[in-house]
Amino acid sequence: MSASAVIAGREFRSFFRLPVGWVVIALYAALTGVVFAAGTLQPGGVATMRDFFALSAWLMLPVTPAISMRLFAEEARSGTLESLATSPVSDAQVVLGKYLGALAFLVAVLVPTLAFVATLWAVADPRPEVGPIVAGYLSLVLLGGLYLAVGTLASALTSNQTLAFLLTFFFLVALLLASGTRLDFVPDWAQRAFYAVSIQRRVAEFAKGIVGLGDTVFFISGAACFLALAWGALESRRWR
Amino acid sequence: MIKAAGIAKSFGRVRAVRGVSFTVEPGQVAGLLGPNGAGKSTTIRIITGFLPADAGIVEVAGFDMRRASLEARRHLGYLPEAAPLYPEMSVVGFLRYRAKLFGIAPRDRARAIGAAMERCRVEAVRTRRIGHLSRGYRQRVGLAAALLHDPPVLVLDEPTSALDPSQVVETRELIRDLGRTRTVLVSSHVLGEVERLCSRALIIAGGALLADGTPAELVRRHGGPARYVVEARDEGRRAEPALRAVMGVAAVREERAEGQWRRLAVEAGTDAPDLREPMAAALAGAGVAVRELSPRHASLEDVFLRLLRAADPAREHAA
Repeated sequence: MSASAVIAGREFRSFFRLPVGWVVIALYAALTGVVFAAGTLQPGGVATMRDFFALSAWLMLPVTPAISMRLFAEEARSGTLESLATSPVSDAQVVLGKYLGALAFLVAVLVPTLAFVATLWAVADPRPEVGPIVAGYLSLVLLGGLYLAVGTLASALTSNQTLAFLLTFFFLVALLLASGTRLDFVPDWAQRAFYAVSIQRRVAEFAKGIVGLGDTVFFISGAACFLALAWGALESRRWR
Repeated sequence: MIKAAGIAKSFGRVRAVRGVSFTVEPGQVAGLLGPNGAGKSTTIRIITGFLPADAGIVEVAGFDMRRASLEARRHLGYLPEAAPLYPEMSVVGFLRYRAKLFGIAPRDRARAIGAAMERCRVEAVRTRRIGHLSRGYRQRVGLAAALLHDPPVLVLDEPTSALDPSQVVETRELIRDLGRTRTVLVSSHVLGEVERLCSRALIIAGGALLADGTPAELVRRHGGPARYVVEARDEGRRAEPALRAVMGVAAVREERAEGQWRRLAVEAGTDAPDLREPMAAALAGAGVAVRELSPRHASLEDVFLRLLRAADPAREHAA
């Protein structure tokens, strides 16, 4: 078993041994439950979860930083980073392992929302289309993966979990606002740049059932960039 | 084997380690001694690969820590100070995780974990959460994790700091036993611990290595002139002049007086031979009754303080 898989496994299981893991699961289930009940489950409405998935970019905002904040910050605070960094494991394997563990936990957080799909499936006539739902869940994993990569970087930069949470949260809020709102005071080239990294636009495409290669590559490459920066931040700890 | 050759490390303007060199061979337990801020932890962190040195070379079991870092770390067992562990994990779960991390084959894992737990006496708490253990048990779990992959080189930072006296004795015995076939480097503030445990002491201060040798060698080399204690019935105060008249005696000082008995501290001059016999003869000649005449051996603590004062004269004034 590779070192990254070992670290990912430990990380994934640790979320279920800590209160923060269960709070995240409950928080996300509650938030998505409200959106589903108020927005999707409408008598006489069209059986679609498009709005539910389109709102996911915002719903994940408080959840993903809560998952990623402890990845490195807690290891640095408690001193376990020293044991980990002196094990026969490269820093890149450590970053990848921790990220994959957090991503696996995010998938576990999404599992309870399948109850909403089952409910819609049971009560709607005609039944909802399967394609957009699968694409919607794919978008949640890709989006969550990008958010977690940002959070992994923030956690590698500090030994304070609260600070890691806030750095991630406000960065993502700024990114969503800048890329999803028309800002008249910024020059055209900046507006085009913000549009190019727009997250809501891409999630909306997925919610329609359109799995675009460009959008998929955007999320994966974005996550890879932030993970590379997290690796750099971890390496830089040795030189500080 | 651990080889450190000219290692140096600075943090900004602070030079934490300045050209430290030493080699610890297999079968040796070496103690790294130094006051707070001496550069002990930085040295340990450079040796274990946690920090890179600005200059110099570190080799662990023959592997260069910079060029073959993963291979060097694979041959190293490290117990950091305060034994940091994951509190949410069980003891056996943590050891299983470490065994996987060090690439111990699945068929050998249970045996390796069992052996490490038995050596460090943590079987009784194998299913307990680490966060619920006493500090002493946590320290022993950390030691078990360091021994898990049977490394030829062990670096232990304050390995007995949280243990009760009986556990300290057991752990010392374990480290001594491990040191028969392995290279062991122990960092400690406790001088007595190094004296009892280590076949070699490395004294570090101000980021520089001040002395390196067996405790006996260091005492001989840096312990200063020989000292003696004399306890004599000396109503006429004849003992002090009689002792001063002995060839080789440099100084005589009264330590305390109890009724007619006086306790005197005698300091020999540099290179003086054993003075017990001429002192006994001089006291007998002066008609002084003696109930004790014994050499006072310098301890590693005396050597340590003497070296620190020599390295930093400000300490002399503070002391």
